[in-house]
Amino acid sequence: MLLTGKNAVITGCLKGIGKSTLETFAKNGSNVWACALAPDEEFEDFCQNLEKENNVWIKPVYFDLLDQEQIKSALKQIVSDKQPVHILVNIAGMTKDALFHMIPMDQMKLIFEANFFAQMYITQFITKLMVRQKVGSVINISSISALDGSYGQLSYSASKAAIIGATRTLSVELADKGVRVNALAPGVIDTDMVKAVPKDIILKRINQMSLKRLGLVDEVSNAILFLASDLSDYITGQVIRIDGGIK
Amino acid sequence: MEERLLIEKNAIITGCARGIGKSIVEIFAQNGANIWACARKKTEEFEQTLQLLSEKYNVEIKPVYFDLTDKDQMKNAVRTIMSDKKDIDILVNNAGITYNALFQMSTIDKINEVFDVNYISPFLFTQYIVKLMLRKKSGSIINIASSAAIDGNPGRSVYGASKAALLCATKSLAAELGDQGIRANVIAPGITKTEMLSSMTEEVINQTVLNTDMKRPGEPYDIANAVLFLASDLSSYVTGQVIRVDGGM
Repeated sequence: MLLTGKNAVITGCLKGIGKSTLETFAKNGSNVWACALAPDEEFEDFCQNLEKENNVWIKPVYFDLLDQEQIKSALKQIVSDKQPVHILVNIAGMTKDALFHMIPMDQMKLIFEANFFAQMYITQFITKLMVRQKVGSVINISSISALDGSYGQLSYSASKAAIIGATRTLSVELADKGVRVNALAPGVIDTDMVKAVPKDIILKRINQMSLKRLGLVDEVSNAILFLASDLSDYITGQVIRIDGGIK
Repeated sequence: MEERLLIEKNAIITGCARGIGKSIVEIFAQNGANIWACARKKTEEFEQTLQLLSEKYNVEIKPVYFDLTDKDQMKNAVRTIMSDKKDIDILVNNAGITYNALFQMSTIDKINEVFDVNYISPFLFTQYIVKLMLRKKSGSIINIASSAAIDGNPGRSVYGASKAALLCATKSLAAELGDQGIRANVIAPGITKTEMLSSMTEEVINQTVLNTDMKRPGEPYDIANAVLFLASDLSSYVTGQVIRVDGGM
């Protein structure tokens, strides 16, 4: 139990890495505002089960990353609970793959809206609370594509690179206020996003990895757990690759 | 629920007498690991500390003594560890020495000594231990380098380079052993409250602390907790990485 008595905001909880993070956090004793795109019965059942099994509270919060008004009212809802927020995990995001010359500018702006500006808006709001409390840990999910480049993923990788720049600067601004800010750069993780990629491309990627296998969502959420917990008290401004050692 | 991240794991840790190594032993024991605690010299105090930890956390802790620069002693230590006939899950190469001198003032004797202790010895020791890890096809190796290995601070050309060598070897090792189930990573501590700081003037220490974003030096347990992450299954998809534990520099 690495997060006993902590309260966390996690975005993108409906599936994949976000869902696994929600589960890992609950098992480690954290209460969670579990953010997802839209109300979903199965998701609410999942949250309720986690509450019962782990003796924590899980509050579903719904908003569309592309709708600032929705984000605002969701954040107000979180504040109205009058609980300290110790952890923010920005996971929600989207990708639209296209070769550079084929990307409509509107699409690129959309990706940046969902993967960068929405995160900044949420983070501004939540870190204001954290600074007041003088404690907090923000974990941003970037991607190895932000560091290495990735064929056909210009908008996505550039938006994830922007997240790294923001992580580093924010960590410098908030360190002496007790708030840590770090990023994780997952490699090829076995999620729906990856299932959509042609098999031969995936096999080629696996061959480039030291561990010669895809990552599991739990392996990413366990690293998030580390950065959220007090185990990483002296770590800030870092970008940690969870990629099985891609060369 | 108890939070023990290393239950039933066996770990070798070097440099356990003081500082970061001492803290790693305590945190590993607290998390349920059995430990071969390596140090250069046998002392009453060290043995007592280990015994207390062993009783407190109900784990096995065996002291192993050898001088890193004495390759015969190292070989004997490896034989002692092997004679216990246990799997080795974790190796932490923590022992090292520091050296502060301007580039032009660094002597060849010191360069050789620092590289022997900080690079060649952990390299050889890891060669022995990896052979044992390969039998089980699983393991985690954690090498303690330094932010100086990445940043190139004044007066640190010898020390920083020896740690940079270790850092690079770790990445190659990770690439070579990944498909055998063995992970290898590096922790790069920044300024940490240990006896190693006594090699720096108070003025330099204060200035370095002010240069951290957190405005405080790291505690040995800050480093040990990051080592714990890399040793545990929480980091099962992390290999070939360098994690700075430096309060932001």
